[in-house]
Amino acid sequence: MRTIDWKEVEKNIENGRFPQWLVTDPEIYELEKERIFGRTWQFLAHESELKEPGSFVTRMMVDDPIILVKNKNGEINAFLNSCSHRGVRLCTEDYGNKKAFSCPYHGWTYNLNGELIGVVAGNKVFGESMDKSEWGLRPVPRVESYQGMIFGNLDPDAMSLEDYLGEMKWYFDIMLGRSDGGMEVRGVPQRWVAKANWKMTSENFAADPYHVQTTHRSAVELKLTPSDPLYASYGHQVVLSNGHGINVITSATGRSNNIYQGMPESMWSMFEKNLNKEQLDIFSRVQNFVGGVFPNLSFLSSCSGTEGTKYNHLQFRVWRPLGPDQVEIWIWYMIDKALPEDYKEKSYKGFIATFGAAGTLEQDDTENWARIVEASQGLMARDRNLSYNNMLNYLMGLDYLDPDENFPGPGKAYPTCYTDHIARSMHKYWLELITKEPEVKSHE
Amino acid sequence: MNSDIQYEISQFLYYEAYLLDHRKYREWLELLDDDIQYTMPLRVTVDNKMGSNLNTEMTYFADSKKDIEIKVERLYTKSAWVENPPTRQRHFISNVVVEPCFSSNDYKVRSYFLFKRSRSSEAKTEELFGEREDIIRKVNGKWKIAKRTVYPDQSVLSVMNVSMFL
Repeated sequence: MRTIDWKEVEKNIENGRFPQWLVTDPEIYELEKERIFGRTWQFLAHESELKEPGSFVTRMMVDDPIILVKNKNGEINAFLNSCSHRGVRLCTEDYGNKKAFSCPYHGWTYNLNGELIGVVAGNKVFGESMDKSEWGLRPVPRVESYQGMIFGNLDPDAMSLEDYLGEMKWYFDIMLGRSDGGMEVRGVPQRWVAKANWKMTSENFAADPYHVQTTHRSAVELKLTPSDPLYASYGHQVVLSNGHGINVITSATGRSNNIYQGMPESMWSMFEKNLNKEQLDIFSRVQNFVGGVFPNLSFLSSCSGTEGTKYNHLQFRVWRPLGPDQVEIWIWYMIDKALPEDYKEKSYKGFIATFGAAGTLEQDDTENWARIVEASQGLMARDRNLSYNNMLNYLMGLDYLDPDENFPGPGKAYPTCYTDHIARSMHKYWLELITKEPEVKSHE
Repeated sequence: MNSDIQYEISQFLYYEAYLLDHRKYREWLELLDDDIQYTMPLRVTVDNKMGSNLNTEMTYFADSKKDIEIKVERLYTKSAWVENPPTRQRHFISNVVVEPCFSSNDYKVRSYFLFKRSRSSEAKTEELFGEREDIIRKVNGKWKIAKRTVYPDQSVLSVMNVSMFL
């Protein structure tokens, strides 16, 4: 690997400049896999996807295939989806229910706790020396959940999920913990492969309401969204710990046209019971929550509906890196279990009309994400000595915005969503992780 | 099946593909009946014992005529960036099987599709393939699509978006 002048990179990031070569550089990508995705909490599944003992889903942590399975005691465990005998990917199904996982190569079988319980011809071929308890499925080192969201971490020494989410928990409580019975995932996640770099897609959700007025201008032309170019700026951009962030988008008046994001009045008493005064205040005024958990989990809680009445919908998405210029997009649509079925159906329709692979808003995002990587891979864009001054611009709000001390939620809240504060904070955390050498552990 | 009906419906599907491939979306809209249900469920990888490998609870789209009208009109705005400049698209429609329905004006039509797309100056092309199940209906002497369900064969789509009509 060529030497990277990290001091120079740091200086630029501090000054709102992100060198373009960092976006898709193959060596940087290898470092990101090891030092960012190998150390941070990755979203795996929502608890509602695993209903019964034996229920399982298969997921990916970048390149690691993972099985999440509920055991007979109702505990959810996560294992590397690889037979401990010859490494075969044990389960290729997306989801299902099983009593045990059997490998199609030599027939080794594991129970719902990942223990090796069956070896074909067992002692006759392996003798007494093989101790089956040593050959179970390899567990994901850390699996923890918050508000039904299950995350895994490949670093056994990582901080707890709750510490990692930090101030984000307060906002998760509003989106995921507001109603009795919690949330449920509808069906399965939509999945498709887009031409994009994971940093840019994460940033698009976590940190960039500024793109809305141009990328999604077709919605303005169709009079589906307001023509005021500042309409996605109203509210607060809130910088949270560990590279997380959320935009609390309201309106020019600071209030929402749809109290509690268009939730029916029958739900309001639950919100009042489950949320505190400050959370209720924000929830009653917000039009859209859009943000991200570093590095690659994004969310949007929005209102949709073409004929007057608006319906709230919530989506979580993972940008799984497939390479420096490709992501596999996974989108989970979630809805409060307690809502009437009719409302759920309308909310779902509003969601797929606008988001997901065929959503009218999302289609144009995919075009712009592709164009970033198309223009970032050449010699000139990847010039590390920066003789061409190839910097991406994150100067918005750099030297004139102060946090709003009266904002009722945690985090540093800037009084507009058209600012690059979250993006700069993501870049700083990215730099902190990518420059941290792996610890050499002594095995005694 | 009456070979005239089979021929007429096949020709109708080829004409539909022609309109889409030549970006005559408003003309295409005329081929859809007012109460059309146009959906694309998700293909999933599951064990044989699950019976179906489709998940219909989630879809890529579940559009009414009104929803489709918005998508069509969007393509005539100046800022539908995904199709401006336009991609080049081909719908290859084959294996058309027509069966009568309970109502004498309706036919159940199954067809296979292969969709290819060329975007920008990229040498690599994108594709989607699968099967469609339609209800095609004669309304005032004209064929209309009253229902279409698009079943993709991939559980992870390899197109960067589903901006096309299938």
